[in-house]
Amino acid sequence: MTLIAHELRLLLRSRMAALALLLVALLSCAAVVAGMAEIDRQRDVIARIQPKQAQDIASIAQWVDKEKDAGSAAYYSFHATWDTPAPLAFAALGLRDVAPYILRVRALGLEAQLYDGEAFNPELALPGRFDFAFVLVYLTPLFVIALFHDLVSGEREAARLRMLDALAGSGRHLWARRVGLRGGLLFLALALPLSIGAILSHVPVGQLLAVLGLVALYLAFWIGVTLLIGRMRWSSVANAATLAGLWLVLTLVLPTIAHVAINRVIPVGQGVEISLAQREAVNRAWDIPREDTMRAFYANHPEWKDSPPLTAAFHYKWYLAFHQVGDESVAKKVADYRNAIESRDAAAHAIGWLLPSVGVQSLLTRLADTDMQAQLAYQDRIRAFHKRLRNFYYGYLFTDKPFGKADFDKAPKFEG
Amino acid sequence: MSLTATGQRILLSDVNLSYGNHPVLRGLSLHVDAGEIYALLGGNGAGKSTTMSALLGFARPDSGTVLVAGHDPAAAPDKAREQIAYVPENVALYEHLTARENAAYLLALAGRQPTGDAIDGAFEATGLQNAAWDKRLGGFSKGMRQKVAIAIALLREVPVLLLDEPSSGLDPRATADFNRLVHDVARKGAAVLMVTHDLLSAADIADRIGFLESGRIVDEASAQGEERFDVRELHRKFAREVVAA
Repeated sequence: MTLIAHELRLLLRSRMAALALLLVALLSCAAVVAGMAEIDRQRDVIARIQPKQAQDIASIAQWVDKEKDAGSAAYYSFHATWDTPAPLAFAALGLRDVAPYILRVRALGLEAQLYDGEAFNPELALPGRFDFAFVLVYLTPLFVIALFHDLVSGEREAARLRMLDALAGSGRHLWARRVGLRGGLLFLALALPLSIGAILSHVPVGQLLAVLGLVALYLAFWIGVTLLIGRMRWSSVANAATLAGLWLVLTLVLPTIAHVAINRVIPVGQGVEISLAQREAVNRAWDIPREDTMRAFYANHPEWKDSPPLTAAFHYKWYLAFHQVGDESVAKKVADYRNAIESRDAAAHAIGWLLPSVGVQSLLTRLADTDMQAQLAYQDRIRAFHKRLRNFYYGYLFTDKPFGKADFDKAPKFEG
Repeated sequence: MSLTATGQRILLSDVNLSYGNHPVLRGLSLHVDAGEIYALLGGNGAGKSTTMSALLGFARPDSGTVLVAGHDPAAAPDKAREQIAYVPENVALYEHLTARENAAYLLALAGRQPTGDAIDGAFEATGLQNAAWDKRLGGFSKGMRQKVAIAIALLREVPVLLLDEPSSGLDPRATADFNRLVHDVARKGAAVLMVTHDLLSAADIADRIGFLESGRIVDEASAQGEERFDVRELHRKFAREVVAA
């Protein structure tokens, strides 16, 4: 029987150690299953939205076909956009549970549509949904503490330390073996469920290895902290109490303070303010001469200036133009808002270099494509799609080209 | 080094050792030969535990020579510890392992891989009841634990056995069993050094008794041939020295 086998038996005979390892494995399994279920649910919703979208358009097309009015088509038809989850998203749901992953947009003013559902600054520093990232970042350190706090002090308190030290060949090798074994088993308890989930979710091997490396590094950090405290030669109880305090400070208190500090230093207005400002601009258009609106519109979109002039009758090109002018009137607010969010995101990432809990969560959500960057990228895709959508309808509206049922098929399609 | 080799196994020569500014051993000299049982007798603070620490390489002397089977424990602790089986005062083994598992594990830590039969043989030699071999140590008495520890020491087949207050807390029957075991180990050629403050136990088992006082041997007595010590005389001597100290 090898020494490792002896150590394994010794470890697993300890009820507390066996229970701790079992709990980590169960929590890890539960987190992976819960994450996969949530992502499956989101995929299912995304899959269901497309046939519904087709039904919706079909019913509008029926009605629009009578009048052949592109304006009605643009006004009444919603177009679905969606943010397909990355394969690794199950491990770190990140902002996917607070920010919309489906948005149906019309060719009208985009900003009010975008910020109807608010996307707050990344809550990187706060505990989120129950997923693998939560188990790793917040719960695993507690199990590291449970398994390592009395590694040496426990032997001292049981009066075995002197005897162990007196055995030739013990010393550093013994502790290295015990640390390695406990650390290895903890890693396995976390890595096995994650790897199974990753394989089932078709996560690329490189990405899985990166996450496993991150898990190993985070474990190494907490094991290092625990061993460092163990070197103080305090009692096991004192070690445990100190480490629990450190856990509280490093995973909850400091990240929360950092979060508050970032929010103070980098103020960000609410997205809904943009939405309201855009709506105000849009509503104002009803009260000013229509020519003023068209002049402002053509100044920025000269490609449509040859369109026939407006008559006394209502024309959708004016309606859509003042929506676009409304969007453009809040462009600076939008840019400021975006810059502030990106600055906060960058600050949160920078804090991750100092606070491992924030850093690991931030890296996990980056790898899983569920962080603020992913959210902003989705917003960019919506903007690009919306631009195509507008141009598509403008092609009919500004040339007074009739819009029939078949034209709906020519409308741009969002590519997830 | 085999157990049958003769010569000095333990040597302390003019050893001085201090903890900070507090001198504990002051010119301590003693030696224990192969097959000999030496009892180091002394009151609290005489330096018994520090002597053990110096032999195990846990404390480094300020001056003097310490050798365990030819190895300096301060310079080469692992080499010295390879030659030592150490039985502490309170034998604390792993309570959630059985006696057999404890023996196998601790011997593996010391680099030994005894067969199951060898472990059984050692338990038998120590008089540990068969029924206890596969029981977890949680319910073992101190005497039973000591038997397990001695069995481990036997299996290590090392030339030096260090016993720290071995008979404290043992009932007379267990003490007699224990003494028999230690004699067996010595007969096989090991040098046995026990530190104790129990004069009767020392007189029962030792070939020589050193009286330790303020970190040095102030007197030494030897058993004469088949005769054991004159306990009354030893007590008179020991009491006088303790009073003087």
